Amino acid sequence: MIRIKELKKSFKTEEVETLALNKVNLHVEDGEFVGIMGPSGCGKSTLLNIIGMLDNPTEGSYNFAGNEVAGLKESQRTQLRKGNLGFVFQSFNLIDELTVFENVELPLIYLKENKASRREKVMKVLERMKIAHREKHFPHQLSGGQQQRVAIARAVVTNPKLILADEPTGNLDSKNGLEVMNLLTELNQEGTTIVMVTHSDHDSHFAHRVVNLFDGQIVTESHNRALEARV
Amino acid sequence: MFKNYLKIAWRNLIKNSAYSVINIGGLAIGITACLLILQYVAFETSYEDFHTNKDRVFRVKQERYNAGKLETEWAGGAFAVGNSFKEAIPEIEEFVKVVQTQDIIVDVNDETLKIDQVFFATNSFFNVFSYPLLAGDLNSVLKEPGTAAISESIAVKIFGTKEVIGKMLPISGGKDYRITGVYEDMPLNTQLKPNFLASYATFVEQVKTNSNGEQTPDDAWDWDGCLTYLMLKEGTDASAVEAKFAPIVKENESDFTKQSNSSAKYSLMPITDIHLYSNFMMEPGATGDGKTVYLLFGIAFFIIIIAWVNYINLATARAIGRAKEVGVRKTVGSNRNQLIGQFFLESALFNALALVLALGLMAILIPAFNQLSGQELSYALFSKSTFWIGLTALLLIGVFLSGAYPAIVLSRFKPVEVLKGKMANTQQGTLLRKSLVVFQFAASLFLLIGTLTVYKQIQFMRQQSLGLDIDKTLVVVPPIVTDSTYLSQMLAFKENLLKIPSIKSVAAATTIPGQPVNWNAGGIKLVSQGQELAKQYRVIGVDYDYVDQFGLKLIAGRAFSDEFGADPEAVILNRAGILQLGFNDPEEAIGKRIDFWGNQYTIIGVSENFNQESLRLPYEPLVIRLIPDVRGFFTMKLNSSDIGSTIAQVETQWNSFFPGNTYEYFFLDDHFNDQYLADQRFGKVFGFFTGLAILVACLGLFGLASFTTLQRTKEIGIRKVLGASVLGILKLLYREFAFLLMVAFLISIPVSWFTASNWLQGYAFRIDIHWSFFMLPFVVIVLIALVTVSFQSIKASLANPVKSLRAE
Ligand SMILES: Nc1ncnc2c1ncn2[C@@H]1O[C@H](COP(=O)(O)OP(=O)(O)OP(=O)(O)O)[C@@H](O)[C@H]1O
Ligand SMILES: [Mg+2]
Repeated sequence: MIRIKELKKSFKTEEVETLALNKVNLHVEDGEFVGIMGPSGCGKSTLLNIIGMLDNPTEGSYNFAGNEVAGLKESQRTQLRKGNLGFVFQSFNLIDELTVFENVELPLIYLKENKASRREKVMKVLERMKIAHREKHFPHQLSGGQQQRVAIARAVVTNPKLILADEPTGNLDSKNGLEVMNLLTELNQEGTTIVMVTHSDHDSHFAHRVVNLFDGQIVTESHNRALEARV
Repeated sequence: MFKNYLKIAWRNLIKNSAYSVINIGGLAIGITACLLILQYVAFETSYEDFHTNKDRVFRVKQERYNAGKLETEWAGGAFAVGNSFKEAIPEIEEFVKVVQTQDIIVDVNDETLKIDQVFFATNSFFNVFSYPLLAGDLNSVLKEPGTAAISESIAVKIFGTKEVIGKMLPISGGKDYRITGVYEDMPLNTQLKPNFLASYATFVEQVKTNSNGEQTPDDAWDWDGCLTYLMLKEGTDASAVEAKFAPIVKENESDFTKQSNSSAKYSLMPITDIHLYSNFMMEPGATGDGKTVYLLFGIAFFIIIIAWVNYINLATARAIGRAKEVGVRKTVGSNRNQLIGQFFLESALFNALALVLALGLMAILIPAFNQLSGQELSYALFSKSTFWIGLTALLLIGVFLSGAYPAIVLSRFKPVEVLKGKMANTQQGTLLRKSLVVFQFAASLFLLIGTLTVYKQIQFMRQQSLGLDIDKTLVVVPPIVTDSTYLSQMLAFKENLLKIPSIKSVAAATTIPGQPVNWNAGGIKLVSQGQELAKQYRVIGVDYDYVDQFGLKLIAGRAFSDEFGADPEAVILNRAGILQLGFNDPEEAIGKRIDFWGNQYTIIGVSENFNQESLRLPYEPLVIRLIPDVRGFFTMKLNSSDIGSTIAQVETQWNSFFPGNTYEYFFLDDHFNDQYLADQRFGKVFGFFTGLAILVACLGLFGLASFTTLQRTKEIGIRKVLGASVLGILKLLYREFAFLLMVAFLISIPVSWFTASNWLQGYAFRIDIHWSFFMLPFVVIVLIALVTVSFQSIKASLANPVKSLRAE
């Protein structure tokens, strides 16, 4: 699904140029659950954003499901992203002025689905995330764990092939964090590919494979034998 | 999608209610002001617009030259113009001659009724103009001598019915008229507003009778007083027709004119231009002022722009608050165009709400506005399609102008940057925001400087000494109906008035101060000069008491006096008059004889120039001619405060001397100051809308200050923890606005100086622009801005830093 070759990303500000990613090579297959780890500032989020087509690489190639992404215009990236990708962030990033239902419904609106099918899909996923009873609430009326479940619901409502999660448990206590990890695992078991950035060793155990980044480069890759056996 | 956008727009509006109130309130005030002014402008520019043939109907304008120099401009010209031009120029389809004449008094059922606005007109009047004739035959309504058409309301007033065709109307001291037509009352937006329209044939007959058959107006090239309107054939080029005038005029030029080295030039003026662009001699009705209309239009423009700028400023200042939403929307699949659409929808919502509010405000404000501006806007406005078209246009322009920039800025946010979990600090748009604030300040300053200039000029005009004493002067309008005994009657009347103890003096004159001198005489020169040096002068006929009563200051010679036998041939000229005759030293002019249409008069005195009319107008060369039994206004200088009984006593005398005439009086200073009504009105309107503009700008400034202060809450907190004083913090917050104000001030100076001096050019006597005209508004704006900004800044600087830092 993901073929990344010799990928470079540098940020230019007025004075300095930061090389956030340096010659990264990475393959992710359909159905995999990949964790990305590394010290702060090593380029994890940058890599995830490029995979998520929110950003363009400076150099190198990125092939997503057979499409070359590097060098695409913003509008083309949006087109390719729509419905294929779901995002989960550390800070939830729900829209404060929209209700739970409306937040989850948003991706479907941009996919121009009709109202009835939107309602059906949103309710289904909300039930699955055990948050359906809160559909009319606004984000600030929910706990962090509940908010993150809504964010996951929003990420999966379009049935994406790939879910990208940037420290999804970073703002949660361990109980809520575990719940989130279980949900992601469940989704993965149903066939969704997942790439997740994390700082937590605990969370990394849910991944099949962990990629370690240091200073913009992949230094090690470790396979989680226990999980692989389970698959 | 649309619903989702609307929903979020609405929720944002409710959530940030202070921001919304500021924005919508400002926009609503802006739109209201703009609509009110636009209606006024629309009305002022709609004059003569209703004539079906307005594109090919022109009024013939006359310019009089002496020795090649333009001396006077006239709304009317020679009587022969209409028929002669039509005869010689095939492109002319029809002409209308209109002659204004004095008021008449009709006798009905033993009651007398005075009718003003009396005109003669040729039969073509109702064909060329689109004034609707309600009853009467369009082809012959004004054909016969002794016939007349009257307006609907006059018909009802006189006869109690509109069915008046064929009725005879007795005129006091004149021949009866047969009513042959009734026309709808003239609309407001037209210059000619006759109450009584007699046939031009009647006038021709009168002239014949008075001159024993020697004169016919249609051949008259030498006497003036006829308004001529021409309707050209369709598709005719007006300038080509105009070019054919000169040879005809030349051919008919009298020997007298040729010798006088004078000439008349005729040209065409579209009737739709008359109201705003002509204020010539002999206008048959009030005219407006194009400059005023366009200045007000400018104000409307400023106000609405200020309101839109508020929206732009506040929407972009708030962009940070919307950044996350944009980021999320983009991550879940929105493209940039969809976001642009969304933010346009939001500005549409704000503008539409403001518009609704504005309509309500307008409905409430119409009566007040009418009082302020002297306009007659009515609620009928709301049923006019043009009004709604204008409104829609305003909405669309508003949505676009105010929505475009915020939409572009907001939709540009990159999700990667704004979703980091921290707030991105958008320096974006700060420069634009600052420029817009500078614009608002500059516009407010400009308007304030303008208001001050207008007020100062009006004050100046009212306080400036006129060179004439018009205080405590009662004026009585001369009688209309008189007989051959008038002269002796009038002298006896004056004599009797003097017996009233509260009356100090009585005088009579053809024209009183505050009125245009309509007696214009060309061809006046020194007896010793050749005819080619003759020039035009304005003439006032006065009795012996005039000079003394009005306190004319003589700079040479003496006043009229009946102690000298030869005074009836005496004249007094003003300084401008002797200057035109060629004397620099007034003493030199004394005793010189002038030739006035074949008669000779001696200059016995020279008066200092005085303001016969509004200070808007320059001094004109005047000939004050002694006519001991002059027919004109009676003016009385009063010395008592018991005005009521004096007026009553004068009335008693009036009724015994001039029975059948209405007693009409007024006070001269009021009458004179009435000339400034339009100026004062303009001042008030200007001031009112300036106030609104500043209010709207303040609303915006308040909103902006709140946001910038809010953004700096954390910075303020840290500074305080590190030991900054409250004053230090305030300085920090004010510094930015102070700088913007200074820039605005510098920009506004040249612009307002240019506009104000341009406006003042319209006044012959005007104030000099003083530095305080700029400083005062600046101080006012600084204070207003200070108060506005302080609301938020003081709160922020006093806040406990622990709170703001914990909130991070
Ligand atoms: N927009 C940007 N402009 C300039 N430099 C950037 C930008 N975004 C990231 N960087 C730099 O790129 C490098 C990688 O950043 P990135 O956010 O990917 O780190 P990270 O591994 O996600 O760190 P953390 O674990 O703290 O989230 C850092 O050195 C960062 O300073
Ligand atoms: Mg990161």
